[in-house]
Formats: sequence, structure tokens, C-alpha cells
Amino acid sequence: MHLTHELELFPDLAVTQMLFKDVRNAAELRQCAVEGKINGALINPTMLVHPFQVLVAANKAVNLHKVGKMKTRSLNSEIIFNLLPTNNISEAFKRFGCSDGDDSVLVVLVHNKDESLLLSDITARVSGRQVPVEEVSSLTDHGKIRKLFKVTQEEEKCGTLLDAVVCRMAIKDVI
Amino acid sequence: MAQEKSMAVPEFLSKAELIKQGAEARVYRAQFLGKPTIVKERFRKRYRHPVLDEKLTHRRTVQEVRSILRCRRAGISVPVVYFVDYTSHCIFLEDVVGSSTVRDHIASTQQSDSCKELVRLAQRVGQILSKMHDEDVIHGDLTTSNMLLRCGLEDGESELFLIDFGLSYISALPEDKGVDLYVLEKAFLSTHPNTEALFERLLKSYAASSKKSSAVLKKLDEVRLRGRKRSMVG
Repeated sequence: MHLTHELELFPDLAVTQMLFKDVRNAAELRQCAVEGKINGALINPTMLVHPFQVLVAANKAVNLHKVGKMKTRSLNSEIIFNLLPTNNISEAFKRFGCSDGDDSVLVVLVHNKDESLLLSDITARVSGRQVPVEEVSSLTDHGKIRKLFKVTQEEEKCGTLLDAVVCRMAIKDVI
Repeated sequence: MAQEKSMAVPEFLSKAELIKQGAEARVYRAQFLGKPTIVKERFRKRYRHPVLDEKLTHRRTVQEVRSILRCRRAGISVPVVYFVDYTSHCIFLEDVVGSSTVRDHIASTQQSDSCKELVRLAQRVGQILSKMHDEDVIHGDLTTSNMLLRCGLEDGESELFLIDFGLSYISALPEDKGVDLYVLEKAFLSTHPNTEALFERLLKSYAASSKKSSAVLKKLDEVRLRGRKRSMVG
């Protein structure tokens, strides 16, 4: 169900994503993440077009973490920050972070490749139904994303919405 | 830690396939986040003062990705940027899989002389360039090698990509746009002999596609008489 992808730039690290639907304890989960009981980022999946979007954010976060140029205080918050096309940290949490009333959540974990991940620890904490990560596309709120990323109709003629989103995420620090 | 810091990208590139090296950058092909990717690395120029080198390289990297986004916003097909590393000055771009350069395409089509198709291609190029200039993006290095053609999936219509925005900048001046076209004309006619008529078609479609084109083409005539550089100094 979960999706693990190795980071080619950091061969000893990998990113694992898990998607949950019908979540009833989002507030509690958020609290766990704030307290560090969940060492991962909790993301609102309606703002995601594709799991690749999360990979791009995680890769960038790890890179900035390694060179000590993160804008936020932790790797997990940096992942959430990188998902936003602009440079406002609190807006990033509002848009892409998990909120108390959410009924779906995507958990992102950055971990050592050989480390045996305690995925069961996460599944135990979430009271909800785990579904394949690819299903994130069925939750996507396209209208909201188009508005937030300011994607024009013209642009979608030459590429997908995912292309447009990834491009803006990748170069947001120089716009 | 300090050592480990900036080694991630260079180490990654040491295993990647080097496909081209120019004066300004090296281009690699690799797999990145599961996608076929082109990496453009601007290397250090040891003959330049380190501070100046850093500044120029950084600015060109930034310029390149900005122009790419500007073009995409206007609906011009340009490779997607996946990741930029400002410490090693690398841009990770979408690899346009299954594409060939317009240069190769013209060369091979010229031999089998299917003129009609080339005229259509020239018209498309003209349209896209006028769209780009309407966004005030000056490419700076227009050649037929910096245009890619990818065969269309369904309708048979192939997609035209512009690449290599390394020398691009933003300007609304007809002068700059005229020089941009002049550079293309020089490159076009020297790589493809006996294509004056074809280039004429390109310019015609450029003229028809934009309201601002007449000023640009007037400038192009001026530039032809005097060459690319305006001032005769330096």
C-alpha cells in the first residue's frame, strides 16, 4: 500500500508515503507530529496531484537540510514548506499541512534505506483506512490547486497540471 | 559534514552519462526521482575571479529557470524543471524522450525533399517564436539544435520544444528581439544550405502571429545591415 522511493541524490535515504482515507483522528495525529511522536510530515492530500509532487518536495528538503539552508526548523516542516509555490511558512502549513477536521491524510517519512521502518506504528496511530498512495489523484482538488499555483489554461495546453506545479515548486526561491 | 555537504550532486553526476560538454556547461542524462532527466551543470571557470565566477554562474542559472517558467506560462513547450541546486549550479530538467533536434530533422527531410512538411515546420517555429517574444523572453541562442521535435502520440502532430535558455533574458525592446531573430537567421542559413525560402516562410508566420512583429522585423532589417552588435566599441 505504501510507496517507497529511493533518493538518487542521497543513496542512503528513501522517502515513504502512506495514504489514509476516512480518518477520524486528524487532530490527534497532528498533535503527535508536533510532539515528535510521528517523525514524518502530515499532508493534506487534496492539495496533491500526484505522489511525485511529494518526492520533489522531500528531495529538495533533504538537500537544503544537508547544506544547512533550510527555511524552517525541521526536515518535516521543510517538506510541507516546499510544496507551496510562495515563501510564506504559515500559509504552507495552512494549505498543505494536515488540519484538525481533515478526513484524509498523507504521511511522508524520510528514513535510512536499510532502516526497517515501523510502518505499523503509523497505521496503529491512524484511525482510518489505508489505501494505495496512487489514489491520491482521486482526492485532488484541481480548482484549488490551479488557483493557488496560478496555472493558466494556456499552460495546461503544453503540459499537465503536475508539470506546472512541480516547475513552480522547484524554482520558487528565485521568482 | 562540511565535506559531505556539497558532494551529493557531484557524486550523482559522476555516475551519470555525460552527453555533451560546451563552453558554459556539461549536460548529463540520468534517472532522477524515477524520471528520465537531463542535468545541466555549470562548472567552475578557473580563469575567472572566483567571486565574479560565482556571481555570473548563479545569475545565469537563475535566469535560465525563470525564462523556462515564463515560457511555460505562455503555453510554449519547454522542459519541466524538477530541481535546482544552487550550490553546484545544476538544473535538473525533464528529458524529452524520443525527440530529435529540428536540425537533424531538416537535414534528413531535405534529402528526401518533402518540402511541404518543412514549410509547416518553419511556420510552427515562427509562431512559437512570436509567442515567446510576446512574453518578452529573448532566447539569446536560437539555433535549430536548440529546438526539439517529439512525435505526437495520438494525432501525429509533433510537439516542438525550445531548449537551452542559458543565454536568455527578459526584454521588451524590438532591438533585442530583432537580434534574436538575426542570430537564428545566421545559424539557420549556415547549417542548412539553400533554405532562404524556408526561412522567409518562418519570418512570414512570425509576422502574422503577433501584433508587435512589424517593429521587430523592421529592426531585423537594420541589424542585418550592421551586424549583431549595436555599438562599434568593444
